[in-house]
Amino acid sequence: MTGPMTDPPASPMTGPPAVRPAGAPSRPPGAIRVVLADDAVLIREAIAGLLRRNDFEVVAQVGDPTSLVDAVATARPDLAVVDIRMPPDHRTEGLDAAVALRRDHPQVGVLLLSQYLESHHLPALFGGSARGVGYLLKERVTGPAGFVEALRRVAAGGCALDPDVVALMLRNRRRTDPLATLSEREHEVLALMAEGRSNRAISERMFITHKTVEAHVRSIFTRLDLPPEPDNHRRVLAVLTYLRAQW
Amino acid sequence: MYVLAACGVVLGVAVLMFKLRDGTHPLATTVVGCVGGMEFVGAGVLAHYRRPANRVGSLMVAVGIGLFAEDVQLSRTGWVYSAGFLLTMASSGFAAHLVLAFPTGALASRGERALAGAAYAVVFGLPLVRTLFYAPPTRYGVRSNLLMVTDNRAWSDALQQAEEITGAAVALAVTAMLVRRWMTAGPPLRRVLAPVFVTGLVGGGVTVLDGALDLPHPVRQVFLWVYMAAFCLLPLGFLAGVLRVRLGRSAVGDLLAGLTEPRPAAELRGALARALGDPSLQVAYWRADTSEFVDADGAVVTLPGPGQARDVRLVERDGRRVAALVHDPALREDPHILAAVTAAAGLALDNQRLAAEVRAQLAEVRASRLRIVAAADTERRRLERDLHDGAQQRLVTATLTLRLLQQHLDGKIDDAAAGLLASGTAGLDAAMAELRELARGIHPAILTDAGLLPAVAELAARAPAPVDVDAAPTDLPRLDAAIEATGYFVVAEALTNAFKHAGAGRIRVTMEHRDDQLRVGIVDDGLGGANLDDGTGLRGLRDRVTALNGQLTVHSALGEGTSITAVIPAPGRR
Repeated sequence: MTGPMTDPPASPMTGPPAVRPAGAPSRPPGAIRVVLADDAVLIREAIAGLLRRNDFEVVAQVGDPTSLVDAVATARPDLAVVDIRMPPDHRTEGLDAAVALRRDHPQVGVLLLSQYLESHHLPALFGGSARGVGYLLKERVTGPAGFVEALRRVAAGGCALDPDVVALMLRNRRRTDPLATLSEREHEVLALMAEGRSNRAISERMFITHKTVEAHVRSIFTRLDLPPEPDNHRRVLAVLTYLRAQW
Repeated sequence: MYVLAACGVVLGVAVLMFKLRDGTHPLATTVVGCVGGMEFVGAGVLAHYRRPANRVGSLMVAVGIGLFAEDVQLSRTGWVYSAGFLLTMASSGFAAHLVLAFPTGALASRGERALAGAAYAVVFGLPLVRTLFYAPPTRYGVRSNLLMVTDNRAWSDALQQAEEITGAAVALAVTAMLVRRWMTAGPPLRRVLAPVFVTGLVGGGVTVLDGALDLPHPVRQVFLWVYMAAFCLLPLGFLAGVLRVRLGRSAVGDLLAGLTEPRPAAELRGALARALGDPSLQVAYWRADTSEFVDADGAVVTLPGPGQARDVRLVERDGRRVAALVHDPALREDPHILAAVTAAAGLALDNQRLAAEVRAQLAEVRASRLRIVAAADTERRRLERDLHDGAQQRLVTATLTLRLLQQHLDGKIDDAAAGLLASGTAGLDAAMAELRELARGIHPAILTDAGLLPAVAELAARAPAPVDVDAAPTDLPRLDAAIEATGYFVVAEALTNAFKHAGAGRIRVTMEHRDDQLRVGIVDDGLGGANLDDGTGLRGLRDRVTALNGQLTVHSALGEGTSITAVIPAPGRR
């Protein structure tokens, strides 16, 4: 299990944010443009406030999947943050919308927020690509810095997986498959890799040298019989594919 | 009655002696006449014995005696000889009465009574008048007509001709009456009438022809033979009737033997109809709730009233009306059988009613248990949703606010205050995690979203020890929500028991959907010794499985691990 995400303090919370129309002129230069989709207004507003303080531009806030798809098509944001449960049935409408967005707007990063500590939605969400996609537990928004960092990563085309979900997947796999041959350290590295972190981030996180991390990664690939790839996304994809292969 | 029959036998023997002594009679007719008479007497006694209340037996004995009496005129004793003149056609009168009264023994209509009276008048009245004018040829000298008033040959001959003509008319009328009765009779009555009617018709027909035509002697002789043969067969017809009664009784026995288990309505009606020999039998079932009779299909039946072509017999049990048998009126002639069949029908119908009631109650109980399970599931889903959409959202928002405050105050407050803030947010984090697991325990959303296999796979992933889930997605289609939830809770409870109570190290879960049944099996290598009554939640599980018409079995010998299997009827969805 990973520790709490600690990051440098963000700017303090300001007053209630207004929904800005798409393509509004007064956006900060270089700001990440976000569409927020959640039918729980309270939490949506809180997230919007958090994002604005961190120099994101919230271009639209919506409460249902149809409005989400419309907003993304109109505003062409860098990122869509989507709650998995939305009207009409409050089941997995958000997931379906996210899958549709990834298919129709591959340049838009999609981060799915979920109430459930479950991994079975991942294959559908990721599909064949780990580019610009993330799955986080909803409560992760309360660790503001880690959350904001994950958003930035996804918006930039990277990926983000909730550490608890990764841990669950690893724990499930550890007993029955080749992952059992990994050492404790390698497990930690694999978990951080699965979250979408770079080797450098891992080395900082684990207080080990960059070279050691690279050695661990190579070892993991060898033991899992995966071809080593320098690219971050392909590593995650490889891990994911492997993790989900037997399901 | 039996004394009368004994006298008849004595008389029969006496006239046989007369005939043999007389010597002018062919042996064959002598024997046939004697046997016919004896048959009537014997069959009459038997019929009387079987049905004392029915006059048919007595009438048959009378016919037998009448046959013998016709030969009394062969006596050489003067007064006996003279009396014999009065009885030359005695059997015909009794016979007419008998066939008209058969099988009830009573003359039902005024026409029948008049006809019987006419027959008696012809066979006893006319000979009485004729005797007054008839001088028989004195062959032996000693015999003479003591009743003769005056010897008038012309009157005597005229009267004899009148006897023959009226006799033929009466026979014709009787025949017509019988034909009409045959036409209106239902199958049960026809079965009784047939043997008697056939012989009666032959005898009657011969008499009519004999009376109406002036036939040469040989033909008359043949007619006489036919008449005698028919008369010999007639009592056998009555015997057949008696035997039929006995057959009916054994049919009731068969009926009772076949009623040991509840039968469908149509089959029961068939069995009752067979036992009664009435294919037209209708069974009308009493509906106490609407107070009307209905047929097997539930259509309302109006019972025929008095005076209609069908009879009704009510079937009652313990003073309660159960049904009504609508039957051929002829069955009244067999009151014993009708009573026995009615009793059997009461038994069977009551049985049927009870079975139907129990079935209905069972179906209602099952349906209500299913409704309870479904309602509980719905409530669980609602609760889970409320937790996520209400409490969790507020917790998340509050925690976010607190974290932002934490960042805002960072460095501006002392360590103690920062520590308090940190433990506050940590407590909220824990609360959110617990809430999430609580909601999951109440009803895992994955079950509704993705189905039984993914839900159980996640359950296995969270288990503290290895759990092998042996099921291919293709073996497990999406099923009804209540069925999937039941399968899930069986696995969840079994896993909890295995880890918590049995200290299992390894567990294997198998699931498959085959032949419209969901089979879920959980085998562990723990301590064993679990049973349905020790409060491990297995009883609740079994109740739930049973509510879906399924079966939960637990094998858990001490030291041999536990094996739990649930089989639930589950028609595939989609």
